[in-house]
Amino acid sequence: MTPSEAPEVLLEHLFRRQSGRMVAHFTRLLGPARLDLAEEAVQDAMLRALQTWPYRGVPPNAAAWLFRVAHNVVIDAVRRNQRVGEKTDALVAELSRAGTQTPGDPDIEEQLRDDELSMIFMCCHPEIPRDARVALSLKTVGGFNVREIARAFLVDDAAIAQRLVRAKRQIRDQKLPFEMPCAGETQARLQAVLSVIYFMFNEGYAAHEGDELIRRDLCQEALRLGRLVAASSLGQPMVHALVALMAFQGARSPARVDEAGDLILLEDQDRSRWDHTMIALGFHHFDRTIAGDEVSEYHVQAAIAATHARAAESRLIDWPLILQLYDQLLGITDSPVIALNRSVALSKVHGAEQALAAIEPLRANPKLRDYYLLLALRGHFLLELGRPAEAAGNFKAALECRCSEPERRFLGRKLAQCALNPASENCETY
Amino acid sequence: MSQFMLLLYDDPTNFARMSPEEMQKATEKYMAWSKMPFTRDGKRLAGDAGRVLRGANGRATATDGPYSETKEVLGGYYTIEAANYDEAVKISLGHPHLEFGGTIEVRQVYGS
Repeated sequence: MTPSEAPEVLLEHLFRRQSGRMVAHFTRLLGPARLDLAEEAVQDAMLRALQTWPYRGVPPNAAAWLFRVAHNVVIDAVRRNQRVGEKTDALVAELSRAGTQTPGDPDIEEQLRDDELSMIFMCCHPEIPRDARVALSLKTVGGFNVREIARAFLVDDAAIAQRLVRAKRQIRDQKLPFEMPCAGETQARLQAVLSVIYFMFNEGYAAHEGDELIRRDLCQEALRLGRLVAASSLGQPMVHALVALMAFQGARSPARVDEAGDLILLEDQDRSRWDHTMIALGFHHFDRTIAGDEVSEYHVQAAIAATHARAAESRLIDWPLILQLYDQLLGITDSPVIALNRSVALSKVHGAEQALAAIEPLRANPKLRDYYLLLALRGHFLLELGRPAEAAGNFKAALECRCSEPERRFLGRKLAQCALNPASENCETY
Repeated sequence: MSQFMLLLYDDPTNFARMSPEEMQKATEKYMAWSKMPFTRDGKRLAGDAGRVLRGANGRATATDGPYSETKEVLGGYYTIEAANYDEAVKISLGHPHLEFGGTIEVRQVYGS
């Protein structure tokens, strides 16, 4: 095939989507102790694609091509690293057989789904430290690399690399199984998995990285994994609450930025542009959260998102209910970011002065020291209170923090407002 | 118009730390460049070591290629059309290979 006959573009997020599946697939075949080899093979397959597709064109079934190439890499490596006493021949035979199966075939797809579930449960095993679980899941299941994860965590690359090394050592040393949890440990294991999925979603929604504000793909991936768990034997109310929450929030994505890529505040969003299929999906799962007595963080978060989703217009948002839900949420978790978001509801119900006072104690929190949103909210409340000079100082400081390009432009516009006049404009959250 | 050959030297370690998404974006950039109107031909060389033939003292010897001895290996080539070296270089500077730390050697095809 000459280059000109090749398809114009690849399927969106092909590599990311396939790499999680491939790593899970090879981890089952090779055993968890060889997770590194699985990852290397997948990386190699993508490199081979990079090197050949521009010259020869994209193969007709690109996913199958990646699987096949990765299989060959794994087989070569297994043969090369053969150790005495190992059943290399049997493993190579198994790998060769698996290499002839084509992704897309219903049976194979089912196996790959099971592999992904087993993988995420292994990555979230309680023997692995919590922060390392999240890092490992994002790396193996989500298809992120160290740098992307580091940005999601707001820590440096070396720390993430260290966590991954530790997590993999745990898997090897403790011989952690590649399988779904057994009955007795289901709850704790499930909690860990859900927090990882939610973290993934937030990373996509908050869009720390780069210019692209809405990393919709990341949110979709989290939503996909959430639905994967919800559809499995572990699909209980808490899981549905998380899926509902993600669907409600994700539904706003189309309305969060304008054509220039600039942020539009939640209040100013054209609600007809919200994804109503996603909202319907949200309510579908929200209805399944009511069973049982348990009220998890996800239940309350989903209730807040549902309150927003129910309001056909901004002026119909039930802020007192949202504030009440945030109070309930702070009783479950003491997250400073939740406290920040609560301040917005507080300003709607009791005014900017109370909201400003409520976020003052958060300034001492080291986790928020370089978080632009704290400074942006201070600036906003100060502006509302007619203190533009102080507001400007906060917006300037916020611009010094890490934030995406649209967030940067948004802060720039707020800063310009400070210079004009202390007009009050509604702020937060998009 | 003259013809120029672009020899692309790879350093695979440049891509070792990239995420799948970044790998895909890079692949798409490479593919987009290969479809530019000035491109006449392009071939990828197989990833093996190759063979090097040398003549000395009236005797030829064949050895395995330099594969692991040098970091960069010739990975592929393009033939492009350009008015002169300046234009050929300008065109080549837009190749994503440079963005990812690769090396490109630009040579005019003699007499073209």
